[in-house]
Amino acid sequence: MSTHPSEATAIGPRRRASWLSPALRYAILIGVGLLMLYPLLWMVGGAFKPNHEIFGSIGFIPAEPTLDGFRDGWRTSTEYTFGTYLINTFLIIIPKVILTVISSVLVAFGFARFNVPGKRLLFALLIATILLPKSVLLIPQYLMFREFGWLDTFLPLYVPSAFAVEGFFVFLIIQFMRSLPPDLEEAAVIDGCRSWQVLLYVLVPMLLPAIIAVALFQFMWSMNDFIQPLVYLSSVENYPISLALKLAIDVTEATSWNQVLAMSTIALLPSLILFFVAQRYFMEGTTAGAVKG
Amino acid sequence: MIAVLPRLFAAVVAAVLLTGSVHAETVTLRMSWWGGNEVHRALLDSVREFEQRNPDIRVRTEYTGWTGHLERLTTQIAGGTAPDLMQINWNWLALFSGDGHGFKDLHELRDVVDLDSFDADALAMGTVHGRLNALPTSMAARLFYFNASTFARAGLAVPRDWDELLAAGPVFRERLGPDHFPIDLHLQDVVALTRSWLVQRTGRPLIDDGARRLTVSAEQIADMLRFYQQLVDAHVTPDARTRASYGNVAPHEMRPWIDGRFAGSYQWISAIGKFIETLAPGQTVTLAPYPMHADALDAGLLYRPAMMFAVNARSAHPRESARLLDFLLNDPFAAQRLGLLRGEPVSTRAIATLREAGELQGLSVEGAAQVAALPHAVHESAWFEHARVRDAFIDVFELYAYGRIDADAAGQRLHDDVNRILGRIIR
Repeated sequence: MSTHPSEATAIGPRRRASWLSPALRYAILIGVGLLMLYPLLWMVGGAFKPNHEIFGSIGFIPAEPTLDGFRDGWRTSTEYTFGTYLINTFLIIIPKVILTVISSVLVAFGFARFNVPGKRLLFALLIATILLPKSVLLIPQYLMFREFGWLDTFLPLYVPSAFAVEGFFVFLIIQFMRSLPPDLEEAAVIDGCRSWQVLLYVLVPMLLPAIIAVALFQFMWSMNDFIQPLVYLSSVENYPISLALKLAIDVTEATSWNQVLAMSTIALLPSLILFFVAQRYFMEGTTAGAVKG
Repeated sequence: MIAVLPRLFAAVVAAVLLTGSVHAETVTLRMSWWGGNEVHRALLDSVREFEQRNPDIRVRTEYTGWTGHLERLTTQIAGGTAPDLMQINWNWLALFSGDGHGFKDLHELRDVVDLDSFDADALAMGTVHGRLNALPTSMAARLFYFNASTFARAGLAVPRDWDELLAAGPVFRERLGPDHFPIDLHLQDVVALTRSWLVQRTGRPLIDDGARRLTVSAEQIADMLRFYQQLVDAHVTPDARTRASYGNVAPHEMRPWIDGRFAGSYQWISAIGKFIETLAPGQTVTLAPYPMHADALDAGLLYRPAMMFAVNARSAHPRESARLLDFLLNDPFAAQRLGLLRGEPVSTRAIATLREAGELQGLSVEGAAQVAALPHAVHESAWFEHARVRDAFIDVFELYAYGRIDADAAGQRLHDDVNRILGRIIR
């Protein structure tokens, strides 16, 4: 009997906790989420503000909304509209993503499933390239592409991707492959599959989350890449958006931030859309290999 | 049908040959620059006009914003693929043309480029070892600009000398409040301002290229730092902590500058325009007289070309490039199209065009006039602007500004650091 009251009081707080705790958690999550998203919201809001209003307030809702930023930003100060730069960006990114995926999967397959002499050393070298600063390679590669006659074309920007130059992606896929049971592949081999058939029909469907993660990462990194297009592309007509956005920013002239923000908003849309479409796979892919099983 | 083919073939061959022969006469030049929206439009218009007047020359324009332009040009020069005509920064001459052979000697092309419209100072600053490597578009110096509206609220006229500047601080604090300051100086401005203050006393540039050393002693550098402390103590400029509390924002985009609480800037003539553009409406900025030490022989200005144009030493078409260069700097069309976007032009012919059009007015013109009136024979070495030297100054000034090091130790450290860096980079 004596336990009854204490039990009753114990149940009360626990029941309250059952809704209080998620509510609190969600409140914190929403709060922090908004805080993280605020710069993004501010950018979108800033795109609709006249230039003089941008520094005046930290609120993101424009007091006198205007489309000037979009109109002038799209027209740009160059001979081309912003559309040219968007198209250029995709002419670079699409082959780059496709080549990266194909080459990274092939190389990862080799490392994960075949035994070749010196494999450990080669793998160590591959990982070492991840740590190599990109700027070290800039001038030697520039000279090489000059000899190929590829300067001021898109080739130097995506052809290297055909050789699995991003060690990180290979590593990501290898880790994912290690988590896959070899039984399925063995069964396929018994059924008469060749290596490339095993890869294509058995492994690739299972690797899909990792492949999508690689594609998304490469897409976003290439969108943001500034120094490579800057160095390899000299004609304005070939610029991607990462260069075009900086065209308006100078040391002596006040920058029309509303135009820069408006065009950044437009430039962000493809990444956002792609991310939301592929979100499910992306989440699965980035945590791949985190837990072996 | 079959009989037609050979004739068609002949026509095609003739057409190819014809266009081929036209192409052989056309020269294609590459030209690069950095700038903002207005500069891009003005230069593009000028280049198109140049093409119209010279149908045998096509110009491919390769322009970017400021960010990354040096990296890009460095790669191109290293790879031997630099444009025929390029805009360069004055201190890049030291990087790319240490012996004067990095760029074309424009004296060789003086029948195409009118050099007479440039004064001796301007030509001297583009000359390396007797070879004229580059021509300036405009000259720049740092001058004192004040927000006249804020000074009026404080009941003060803008300061005319160092003492008045020091005296303005307490008045600002009492009449306007502790968050109002007569001038805003970030660390790079502090280095430039205290350098000017010191050069007025020594009458020598800070760096001696030939000796690859500083000309001043550790004690004199400590004096620079103490003078900065004096400015902070007198409430003339916000201390480093106060400044940092407004965030790492470009000075002209800082809230207190926009609303007039920071009422001054020690700024380049070519850059003050953007400070005025961001100002909240209803305020005016004026150029103040340059403060001079009582027995100073030189103002200690950081006087240098704002930007220059140079012809690639390996260009296949140096004469055509030089014609474009001459057009951009001297021709009335280009002069009027560019106007004062990059400050008052150096070319006397461009100035004459602007004067006739009645466009020769404004702060940049006043600035150029002030510089001309001041004694400015002491020219600072280009190495003073080298990234490593600049960073060394800023690092130690920062340590001092945050009270981590005293003036004497800072002076000694800066003296040793900069001398070591100079010994390594000047070759």
